[in-house]
Amino acid sequence: MAKLLVVDDEANIRLLYAQELSDEGYEVVTAATALEAVEKLEAGSFDLAVLDIKLKNESGIELLQRIVKERHTLPVILCTAFSCYKDDFSAWLADGYVVKSSDMQELKDEINRVLTKKQKGMSQE
Amino acid sequence: MDWECCWSKDEIAPESCPYVGEGEEDLYTSHRRRVVEKCVECPRFKNDLARMKGSGYPLSDVLPYILTEFQEQKAQMGAMLSFLNSKTREIKFLREVGIVLQTSMDLDEVLSIAMTAITAGKGFGMNRAFLLMTDKERRNIKGYLGVGPKDYEEAWRTWEDIGRSNFSLKELARDFQKTKLTSEKVKFHDILNQLTVPLADQGHIFNRALHGKKPILVENALNNPDLDRGLARILGVDCFLVMPLISRNRRIGVIIADNCITHKPITLQDMQSLETFAFPVAFALERASLYERLQEEVAKQKGANLKLREQQELIVKMEKMALVGKITSSIAHSIRNPLMVIGGFARTLLKGSEENDEKRSYLESIVRETRQLEDVLSEVLDYSEALFPVTDFWDLNGLIAAALADMDGVLEQAGVVCRQELSPELPMVRIDYKQISYCLKTIASTALAAMDQGGELKVESMQDGDGVVLRISDSGKSLTKMAQEALTAPFFQTQEMGEGVGLSLCKTILERQGNTLSIISRPGGGNTYSIRLLTRKENI
Repeated sequence: MAKLLVVDDEANIRLLYAQELSDEGYEVVTAATALEAVEKLEAGSFDLAVLDIKLKNESGIELLQRIVKERHTLPVILCTAFSCYKDDFSAWLADGYVVKSSDMQELKDEINRVLTKKQKGMSQE
Repeated sequence: MDWECCWSKDEIAPESCPYVGEGEEDLYTSHRRRVVEKCVECPRFKNDLARMKGSGYPLSDVLPYILTEFQEQKAQMGAMLSFLNSKTREIKFLREVGIVLQTSMDLDEVLSIAMTAITAGKGFGMNRAFLLMTDKERRNIKGYLGVGPKDYEEAWRTWEDIGRSNFSLKELARDFQKTKLTSEKVKFHDILNQLTVPLADQGHIFNRALHGKKPILVENALNNPDLDRGLARILGVDCFLVMPLISRNRRIGVIIADNCITHKPITLQDMQSLETFAFPVAFALERASLYERLQEEVAKQKGANLKLREQQELIVKMEKMALVGKITSSIAHSIRNPLMVIGGFARTLLKGSEENDEKRSYLESIVRETRQLEDVLSEVLDYSEALFPVTDFWDLNGLIAAALADMDGVLEQAGVVCRQELSPELPMVRIDYKQISYCLKTIASTALAAMDQGGELKVESMQDGDGVVLRISDSGKSLTKMAQEALTAPFFQTQEMGEGVGLSLCKTILERQGNTLSIISRPGGGNTYSIRLLTRKENI
């Protein structure tokens, strides 16, 4: 079972993610801030992280940069209310980019795609 | 005694003296003038003097002294008069040329007047002249312009034309500038190309003339071992004058003048006159060259100012964009998140509800309405982004291929086959890549909506005059006129197409950038959307 870390500052959205992604068979751990996310990443091992961009204190882009720097094997998907960051080169570090929607199918498809790609890469190694 | 000459007669009959010419008829009655002007030169008068001496006239011994002295003085007077006339002409000519040289800022005008003055009969009357100028880097003297006939035939023709016209020197120069300057610049190209000399070559005659600030007259060049025969061979003459052009101690260039056609010797006086003339020419050439360079700098400055203004406008625009970006970001964040929560939980509840639960329809309504709100929000945000295009030159075919590749999945799902007919030789188009890509995708999505049973989507690109056309055709049902209008009016709703800003936004985007969108529906089925993009648009 793949283990996902979902980071979003809105409690209701974290709840929605946990519900929907658990239904898809993933083990979901949530965090409200970048600091909490880093602590959880250090405490356990994850297969993928889903990050919001607007977070308190530290942005999702900054968190993404830290993850890439420190744990470059962990794939990251940015899931945000903004479509404009897709063109921002700092967001290109992420493995996927999804605009938030009440229909979470796109996010689920993207998670599936990134995890499959990761598995393929590992099996080739 | 009968004298052979008529000196003793107060009046003579017409034609009795062969030396009285036409227009001098008054000499027949004017005794004194006839004796002074004609008799003293007359051979018969000399015979009479000899006869006088033989006859023992006492004055006959001294008369020849007085006569010789008189003739010498007369000759001197004549020479002085001629010199005076020539100097008066020269001053008049220098004044005429000087006025133009002092006032003109136009290099071509200065060149025309200078070279015409040197070569015209009304000027210094040299057959041919070459102007050599120091280059901008001040490393070499280079051939710039040659003026004069190439051969005897041309010389004869030109001089005959000039002889027939009654042009003043100024008019000749003006005529030269208007009709001949361009052709003369290339006429002596072969000679001018061989006249480049480095300023560092101190031994060369050009540099010697410039260094000494004095003209050098070269004579018998082909047989004089001390002289540079190469230059004489290039010019094809063995006698020529090298005149330095110096203005305020700056070496402007050199003029070479010769009489390649008439081979008339170049006199000391020719050299002195040309030397006087060279000073204002050098000054005028320097001033005109500086002015020309100044104009170039001004043009560069203007270009830089224009660029700066564009940059400033861009900064203002970017500031506005940033502001709009902030506002839209805020809207996006404040609306999208609650919508996601509302719609997301409604979907979760819907999944867990029984098929026959009567509350299921409420949940479905929430899901549907939320989805619609999200779509409208996306379109409004796209619309605000479209207000500030960022344009650059792009390859339209590359854009089409990338946009259609993004739509592969959607096309496959809709059972639509996509055919691309892209012209391989399209010019680059100045567009906002993101916006045109959005337009193409929106039109393709609209076309897909008209093909609910699947079909063919054709995408073509082609050049059309000063523009490029991107055409998207579907094989779906034809749109009615009302549906076409609805597609391009924001939030206009029709039964066929629903509501939205999609195509309306495309139209706005395209028209704001000077491009057009047109829709043609064929009665039997199928619609064609044509986008015409301009290729030569500098600013948007």
